[in-house]
Amino acid sequence: MSLDTAIEAKNVVKKYSDFVALDGVSLDIKKGECFGLLGPNGAGKSTLMKLMYCQSLLTEGELYILGLNVKTNFREIKSKIGVVPQDNMLDEDFTLLENLKLFARYQQMEPSTVNEKIFHLLRLFKLEEFANHQIGQLSGGTQRRLCIARALIHSPDLLFLDEPTTGLDPQSRLWLWNFVKQMKDMAGTIIMTTHYIEEAEELCDRVAVIDHGKILAIDYPATLIKNHIGEEVVEFHSNSVDLNYYINRLKENKFEYQVYHNMVLVFIKPEQNSRILLEIIKSEKVTLRKPTLNDVFLKLAGYNLRDV
Amino acid sequence: MFDLTYLKLPKIREGYKNIWLRNFLHFKKTFMVSFFWVILEPLMYLGAIGYGLGSYIQTINGQSYVDFFFPGLLASTSMMVPFFESTYNNYTKLTFQKIYNHMMLTRLDSHEIVTGELLWSTFKGLFGIVGLVIIGSFFGLVSEWQILLVVVILTLNSWIFAGIAMTITSIAKNYDSFIYATSGFLIPLTLISGIYFPISQMPLILQITTYIFPLAHTIELCRMLLTDSWHWWGYLHIAYLLILAYAFFLIALHRISKKLIN
Repeated sequence: MSLDTAIEAKNVVKKYSDFVALDGVSLDIKKGECFGLLGPNGAGKSTLMKLMYCQSLLTEGELYILGLNVKTNFREIKSKIGVVPQDNMLDEDFTLLENLKLFARYQQMEPSTVNEKIFHLLRLFKLEEFANHQIGQLSGGTQRRLCIARALIHSPDLLFLDEPTTGLDPQSRLWLWNFVKQMKDMAGTIIMTTHYIEEAEELCDRVAVIDHGKILAIDYPATLIKNHIGEEVVEFHSNSVDLNYYINRLKENKFEYQVYHNMVLVFIKPEQNSRILLEIIKSEKVTLRKPTLNDVFLKLAGYNLRDV
Repeated sequence: MFDLTYLKLPKIREGYKNIWLRNFLHFKKTFMVSFFWVILEPLMYLGAIGYGLGSYIQTINGQSYVDFFFPGLLASTSMMVPFFESTYNNYTKLTFQKIYNHMMLTRLDSHEIVTGELLWSTFKGLFGIVGLVIIGSFFGLVSEWQILLVVVILTLNSWIFAGIAMTITSIAKNYDSFIYATSGFLIPLTLISGIYFPISQMPLILQITTYIFPLAHTIELCRMLLTDSWHWWGYLHIAYLLILAYAFFLIALHRISKKLIN
């Protein structure tokens, strides 16, 4: 393992009694990288993240965080990482300021440095005016900012964000995106899970698509799009009578496609010409567009709803 | 084969102090609520049972009834306070408030959390004991120096019941579980442990049953100390209490740890 590796997972398996949540996951995350874990509900992304931040025990395999083994050095790992969990987990018996002070105590920080650090974070995250508010009085966006401030209080080397923008209003979301970009500029290492593909595309250097406890693909978003989808996507709607006809024509011309109800997505490879396609299809609702990570995600993970 | 390593106490690091501190800071905010039920409730029992009912009883074991009843009341307070702290309150922190999960995000481990919580419950028990001792001294119920030893025994009792309560918390499915634990275990225990009348009044089977639990041993020790009637078997009571203190600490550690990290 080289010095610039932040996380190294080798064949990680996690079982809950008879349910296999992670089934042999291997990946490397470099320092300074913003790495995204994508997947539908119950795919295993949060489980993988919990193993990484030592809130869950490994069943099989090897997992090293900052060169430390999660099986033996979890205490040291936890002192070097910051975690923003999905459900904020704030101490509602205390005020915002008290929450930060208590967290600094739990992290056993040097008392002389704590006040200055907290003051700095309050200013940075625009939390000063809420310092003496009870947690219940804070809005969702403010609570999330507090969670991030809390995670950064001991200046961690690694930051975990578990679905950081779920349930946030557009302003808070935009603020969070900016924050992540700033962190990246300062060469901070971030590992995040998200449902919002555009978020991963916007923020992440590399992403892994996870489903059914396995990594389906792992690469730069642009490379994933190029390899799995191609240059362009043609999207059209058709009635069910004409659908078969169109599908046969697509097959004849060796186009790769995906059908969802009455909607068809055709993936145009670099050597193929989308013009031919537009001549074949007489539907009124045809769009030619750039492929996104969303197309990759839906192609790999499918369209089925997940109930977890 | 039974694994003997289970009997060994895992290393407890110093982070437990910060758990205790968190609870103390919260306690300061809600001081009056705690004061009311921790100290005023036993005071009402002292009035109603000790003086009210007790005035109809000439002597019991050669003492006035209120003198007989007071050590029992102390022991019952040292049991109730940590029991409720480590059932309802700790269950809320474990499940709805997720305060333990929140602590686990830091370098704290589950053993520090459980130890800190048990020490807090014990401290709250001690708070109730000392409060009642001070009140008792106004009524002239406390005059011997042995009361200091009694406080030590009662604190041990608080620690044991904190451990028992934490174990129940680890098993509980919802708040109803604690109603069963209170009505089915705690209240009957107060009736058979010699708080209100001597254990010798009961059928033999109940006399044997009551000595399985810590409360009867605690009460017996307190009475021995306060009436200057120390016997060598007092050491057996102490030994048994120490074993229970250790056992429930271990069980609570293992069971809550499994809930926090699996």
